[in-house]
Amino acid sequence: MNSFQEINVGDTLGPLELTVSRQQCRDYAQIMGVAGIAGRFTDDEAAKKEGLPGIILPGNMSLGLLAKLVTDWIGMGNARMTRIGTTYRQPVQPDRPITIEGFVTNTDAAERTAEIELWIENEDAERLVVGTATVTFSK
Amino acid sequence: MVDFDPAIINKTFETTEPVEVNADWIQHYCEVVGETNPLYVDEEAAKKGPFGGVIAPPSYAVTFRNGRHFFEHVPRFGRRGFDAGKDVEFVAPIRPGDKITLSSAVKEIYEKTGRSGSMVFVVIRSTLKNQKGEVVAHIDHRFMNRP
Repeated sequence: MNSFQEINVGDTLGPLELTVSRQQCRDYAQIMGVAGIAGRFTDDEAAKKEGLPGIILPGNMSLGLLAKLVTDWIGMGNARMTRIGTTYRQPVQPDRPITIEGFVTNTDAAERTAEIELWIENEDAERLVVGTATVTFSK
Repeated sequence: MVDFDPAIINKTFETTEPVEVNADWIQHYCEVVGETNPLYVDEEAAKKGPFGGVIAPPSYAVTFRNGRHFFEHVPRFGRRGFDAGKDVEFVAPIRPGDKITLSSAVKEIYEKTGRSGSMVFVVIRSTLKNQKGEVVAHIDHRFMNRP
């Protein structure tokens, strides 16, 4: 990635286009240890009983996808993602194409930080998950 | 007004048993969320990087369970609860071999009225520490309850 001096407000991250498989969704639920207790992530019938269209991604998995956009941007650079905040507005479904994007909204030369806005969008350009992150560069 | 006992705020209700992080779990996590950064998946490359070896991706911090008694201590308002969002501060990297504990407390409870009616938000703060007692992350979990 660029050094802190080369980062500008408006720099973009992504877009990253992907489709999360149902298996990935189940695997994530397994990692979190919620596969057995929250059927909405693993079992279509259980999800439908909750009024959902079918299984959905755990919120934390969406956080993981947004975080990946930031860690890809950092690469092996001398910086670290030090904060992320997410809001889950609408469920993210597996087997449906999504786009993950972001851009730099602010930089702070004294703190050597960059603020980033992030989102996950569906095919209808609806923002299902929105977030912000802070990347801190080594001094 | 939402009714709850104010004594529960900021009182740690549970500290989990330590969970040892191993390199295989980190690899599996990276495959599932698509993390390919060499810092997390390539030991040789990571050795030359800023952390001197493989570390877990920052988002790995949110995969730890909040403890066995979580739901006994977290008040529910209404029938349905959803994960509304997170605010995570990554203080230090998590490395293979680290033994991570979580301590959790109710941080805040507030009510909001949206287009679809009243919602109660319960914010749980979990602090993750490693075996040296160093804080590695603070996680604020925002749960939305709907009557």
